[in-house]
Amino acid sequence: MRAQREKYYPLIPVLAGYLILFLIGREVTGMWQLMAMIAFYCALGQAFNIFLGMTGYVDFGYVAFLGVGTYGMALSISRLWRVEGLGIGIIPIGLVLAMVMAGLLSVAVGAVALRLRGAYFAIATIGVNEGFRYLIEGAKIWGGSEGIIFSGQMKKAFGKATASALSTFWADVMVFSIAVIAACITIYYMRGKIGYALTALREDEDAAKVMGINVTKYKIIAFITSSSLAGLLGASAWALKLTYVFPPDAFEIHYTVEAIIIVLLGGAGTLLGPIVGGLVYGLSKYWLAVIMPGFQLLIFAPIIIFIIVAFPEGVIGWVKRRIRGTALQNYFL
Amino acid sequence: MALLKLENVTKRFGGLVAVDGVSLEVETGEAIGIVGPNGSGKTTLYNVISGVYPADGGRVIFEGNDITPLPPYKRAPLGIGRTFQIPRPFSSASVRENVAVGAMFGTMSGKVGVDESLEIADRYIELVGLSPHRDKAAGSLTPVEKKLMEIARSLAMRPKLLLMDEALAGMHPKDIDEMVAFLKKIKEEENITIMAMVEHIMRAVVGFAERVMVMHQGRKLIEAPTAEALKDQRVIDVYLGRQLGE
Repeated sequence: MRAQREKYYPLIPVLAGYLILFLIGREVTGMWQLMAMIAFYCALGQAFNIFLGMTGYVDFGYVAFLGVGTYGMALSISRLWRVEGLGIGIIPIGLVLAMVMAGLLSVAVGAVALRLRGAYFAIATIGVNEGFRYLIEGAKIWGGSEGIIFSGQMKKAFGKATASALSTFWADVMVFSIAVIAACITIYYMRGKIGYALTALREDEDAAKVMGINVTKYKIIAFITSSSLAGLLGASAWALKLTYVFPPDAFEIHYTVEAIIIVLLGGAGTLLGPIVGGLVYGLSKYWLAVIMPGFQLLIFAPIIIFIIVAFPEGVIGWVKRRIRGTALQNYFL
Repeated sequence: MALLKLENVTKRFGGLVAVDGVSLEVETGEAIGIVGPNGSGKTTLYNVISGVYPADGGRVIFEGNDITPLPPYKRAPLGIGRTFQIPRPFSSASVRENVAVGAMFGTMSGKVGVDESLEIADRYIELVGLSPHRDKAAGSLTPVEKKLMEIARSLAMRPKLLLMDEALAGMHPKDIDEMVAFLKKIKEEENITIMAMVEHIMRAVVGFAERVMVMHQGRKLIEAPTAEALKDQRVIDVYLGRQLGE
């Protein structure tokens, strides 16, 4: 039993990290928004890592799942707010809807695109993201290009104070929770058969197949998990927090790129990597925006290139290699 | 009943017929060598048997069941294990994890858990003599160690038939003799049938295989007991070449 428990020790630094971020946000005046932003990037990295990090497949359309999740919450609030007796229950319904919609989209995309490998998969997924956005705009689904604005409905349904608490505090708490859930799922997968199958197929898909691994099945499991978490993230960090959704924002490819940077920076396929990546990325983005507004991307690009050249396996990947064989390795995954 | 039966197996790549109507029966417990020059279709034949490529014609029958349409991941648990010409380790994973993957997914019951697989892995790592390297990343092993690791990995699948693709290429002659002795030993101890593919190293073929199939341009040239096959005039003409001074 002891060995069983030890397997999950690497969760300790992860949970400690999130707790510290949360406490700083709560206790230090004016820090909540910054900590919430960092938590968003950590959660984004943590969720994306389950797919990108564990399978080695790059999904350039990942933001589509956040976008669809945002619509899940937006639809739940804007369509159900008048229903008697639901009250705050609209929020969990919205979360479930977000997760299901993102999950279904990932099944549809995965069933087709996951048969492609490497660059072909990446290109196919860009198409999905853009296609979905233009479908919503062109076919005028879910408000078309005007999007859905539901701040008024939130106020009417929950009252002004609750609605405001939802978007300024609880939405961020949800983001923290999603990050923790994603971390728990990651370690559960990594320690289980799924993790072994994913490592094998990431390293050599053909060898994995002749070892008896149904690679398509495991890729799809990772894809659905990762995408459903993205849906939840969209529903909380975007829909609830901003109280509106527009197609160009919800399907902005920029966020996919950020997610890729975070995962690679921290260490793809590691548990702690996305937190380190999210922290470094979030902080430096904020700091550069303060000291050199407008120039942050220009400065950020070479920094990223430098880090990726210097630490090809990411910060945590590098640390892990360093501490191999020491007592510390039980806490780093 | 033959363990493996190939009936007129054909595999084409566009206009190139890589394997052309090959038939072969392998009995349980045999050590059979597949011999032939580069490009004669040996690796393609292995890929058709293990399911990496679907056959374009003919049938692959394993233990009396037609497995021709099965994908590779369904063939492995039936008892078909293989190693690759150039070792293909899961580089970032440790040797132990690599071998455990074989036990976890390649066995018939399919219900071997993670901890149990790691224990099974330890046994096979010891068998091939890699215990000192157990926790190293597989990518950091030497080429010979990688080959041994691949063997351990496929043995952990408890195969009935082990397809070895050029297990001996690039090895020192002394290592080859050791390897041949080792393969004979595990063949008896683990009760598996081994199909080994060899391109150039005749001493290994003579030492290991009871019977060989010589391939040439995708076709079966001859199938006979080893000593007999290597003396066959056709084999000498297309493959071995004449002895000096003859």
